[in-house]
Amino acid sequence: MTRKWLVLVWVIGLIAVMLPPAQAQRVVVIKAWTIGPDNPSVNRFNNVVTAAERLNKDLARENAGVQIKVEGFFDTTNWDQFLRRVLLGFQSPADAPDIVQGTHAVAPAWADGGFIIALDSYIPRYTQFNDVVPSLWNAMRYKGKTWAIPQDTEARPLYFNKALLKQLGWTDQQIAALPGRLANGDFTWDDVMATARDAVQKKVVEAGKGYYHRPVSGPDFLQWYRSFGGRDFDAATGKLVINKAALLRYYTWLRTGVEQGVIERDRLNNDWNRFHQPITDGKVLFWSGGTWQWAEWDREWVSRKGGEEWLFANFGYGPHPAHVKGGKAITMSQPQAYFVTAASKNKDLAVRLLAYTTVPDLDAKHAVGSAHLPILRTTARQVNHKFLKDVSYLLNYTSFQPPHPSLAEWQVAVYRGVSATESGQVTPAQAVDLVASEVQRTIRDQVIVE
Amino acid sequence: MVRKAVASEVPRARPGRPRRRYGVPLLFVAPATVLILLFFIIPVITTLGLSGTDLSTITFRQPKWVGMQNYETLFTDPFLSKILLNTARYVLLTLLFNVGMGLTLALLSTSVPTRFGNQVRALWLLPRILPSVVYVLIWQGMTREAPFGLVSDVLGVSRNWITAEPWTVIILANGLVGASFGMLIFTSAIRAIPGDLFYAAAVDGATTAQTVRRVVLPMLRWPILFVTAYQTLSLLTSFEYILLLTQGGPGFYTTTVWALHAYQLALSSYFGNVQFGLGAAMAGLLVVIGVVVSLLYLRVFNFRELVGEPKVEVN
Repeated sequence: MTRKWLVLVWVIGLIAVMLPPAQAQRVVVIKAWTIGPDNPSVNRFNNVVTAAERLNKDLARENAGVQIKVEGFFDTTNWDQFLRRVLLGFQSPADAPDIVQGTHAVAPAWADGGFIIALDSYIPRYTQFNDVVPSLWNAMRYKGKTWAIPQDTEARPLYFNKALLKQLGWTDQQIAALPGRLANGDFTWDDVMATARDAVQKKVVEAGKGYYHRPVSGPDFLQWYRSFGGRDFDAATGKLVINKAALLRYYTWLRTGVEQGVIERDRLNNDWNRFHQPITDGKVLFWSGGTWQWAEWDREWVSRKGGEEWLFANFGYGPHPAHVKGGKAITMSQPQAYFVTAASKNKDLAVRLLAYTTVPDLDAKHAVGSAHLPILRTTARQVNHKFLKDVSYLLNYTSFQPPHPSLAEWQVAVYRGVSATESGQVTPAQAVDLVASEVQRTIRDQVIVE
Repeated sequence: MVRKAVASEVPRARPGRPRRRYGVPLLFVAPATVLILLFFIIPVITTLGLSGTDLSTITFRQPKWVGMQNYETLFTDPFLSKILLNTARYVLLTLLFNVGMGLTLALLSTSVPTRFGNQVRALWLLPRILPSVVYVLIWQGMTREAPFGLVSDVLGVSRNWITAEPWTVIILANGLVGASFGMLIFTSAIRAIPGDLFYAAAVDGATTAQTVRRVVLPMLRWPILFVTAYQTLSLLTSFEYILLLTQGGPGFYTTTVWALHAYQLALSSYFGNVQFGLGAAMAGLLVVIGVVVSLLYLRVFNFRELVGEPKVEVN
């Protein structure tokens, strides 16, 4: 008896294996390589995985005969290492990723290298992309083509300490009006300096804590150069630009700050803790930061003092001021983006997967989880998060880094100038000349010095 | 002498049959030769080859041959002399600190009872077993402004000492780690000096200083050559503490050394366009400098005599 059954099971099994499945399912692996490096940004990868599950359901419904499987990683080390790995990945025929996430500013280098594809012909196929904040597409363009899908964005406000302004004799109305005055060009960099100097002289803040900027190199220095009237890109020729007069204004402002005790001589000390600590101790009057730092302060620095409530009570924010009355206020965003690689064998599916990733719920999940700004208009309307709602208007003042493969050399030179000026190594005028000769030497004919 | 010994050990080798005559010696040097080929000669040739191209992120697929252009770029850099001087300063000062401190530690810790000496040496090894990033974090903590920084508190001047005195901090941070290497080698060398020599010196009425000067130091010549040469070469190519402490700043290349400059140009770029060709040219020059310095050392320390046959038979 048992034997009969065994034979029967065996025969059925054999037939099942030999028959072709009712619907042949091809499984396509889509490799997605993503990076934070900050931990809270992990949804840059997880959202792609979730999107793949949804896409698979639709593919099954369509009887497309294909299912996708997302493989890849979320890198939390650093950009250098990630970019090197990606560069090698591009070269490997077997292991090349299909989707890579990175800052929009790498688009020129990767596009010129032939590692990524232009997405202009793919984007109109998916309605999801219509919801993206239109200005973000500008950041994805290079040489007239669109190279990426926006992933998230942020803004870099000028923060101020409301409690310290009050000690300085400001009324609540005056404080509440400050963001507006910053935005309309009524409160300039010189006013920031004068207020901070006043605070130092009246011992409301310690010397050097009138104004803080980031302690290491970063895209923000470009933003400050712009706010002093600088131009960094010539759209007509596609070349980078150094405007010596504007750079001199910026460096002179910094040097004056150091001499008047408003800015620390050693502000560029590579130490983020020495940035966050005095700020969240309530000892710094003005500082330039990023919207994503709000989440860091909330969770890591002021959680014992009352978290976000304390932040709202003590910190205010607005765009960065202009350098002349009535000038243009500014912030800068460095959107993250998803690229589709030239080596991908499944470009259509990869872009479709990104369309499924670009939806309000996933966008909101990432934005709230990492204090980045949402990229979809629907999300911006719907997300119930006071700070994100409060700062989204800053995107009206936002600008992007110029699309140029030699941007890094430009940034490094300008940053070294800041460092040399603040530490008193050279005068602002000398620093400007050094920067000009550095960019001419390293970027050659791709830079205009004016 | 050596040749004679080999010849007598291989009696069947006949003149006119070089293959047999050199077969065994070749067999013995083969493993080292293969290693040197694989890990020195081939990389050097590859690097020199790369340095003649414009290889970068953008041209990664189709690099073009540009000949000497990368070297031209390097030699027209107005900061070239500054970076070279920085490198010399970094290597020399760190080396002096390293070897001097290592020697002092070895001499002091071998002149006290062994168990105390061992403990002192174990303490000095601590920074070496710390990951560099953690070690630098400790330095950053110590050199902060008051009230957080130890140095500021002790000196009574509140500065960020990494920015205020970048070179001092870099040399101390490097030297304190590096000293333990010399310390270990010198200690074992001092231990290996036959006790008779110390007794003889004592009988002759030599003071401690004289014993160190006339007995210990001459016996340490070989280890000192080794430590100095080894440390020079590793310092020439090392930059991780500088990268972590100052990133080559503050300002324009204040503490940028050659290896760091090459790293920043060739391997590190936030925006992805990395200049591999230029970096290879810099690495190529570093190889030349390294080889020249090594030859110089062999000359100065009279290497041939050091590896010559002993004049006295010691059993």
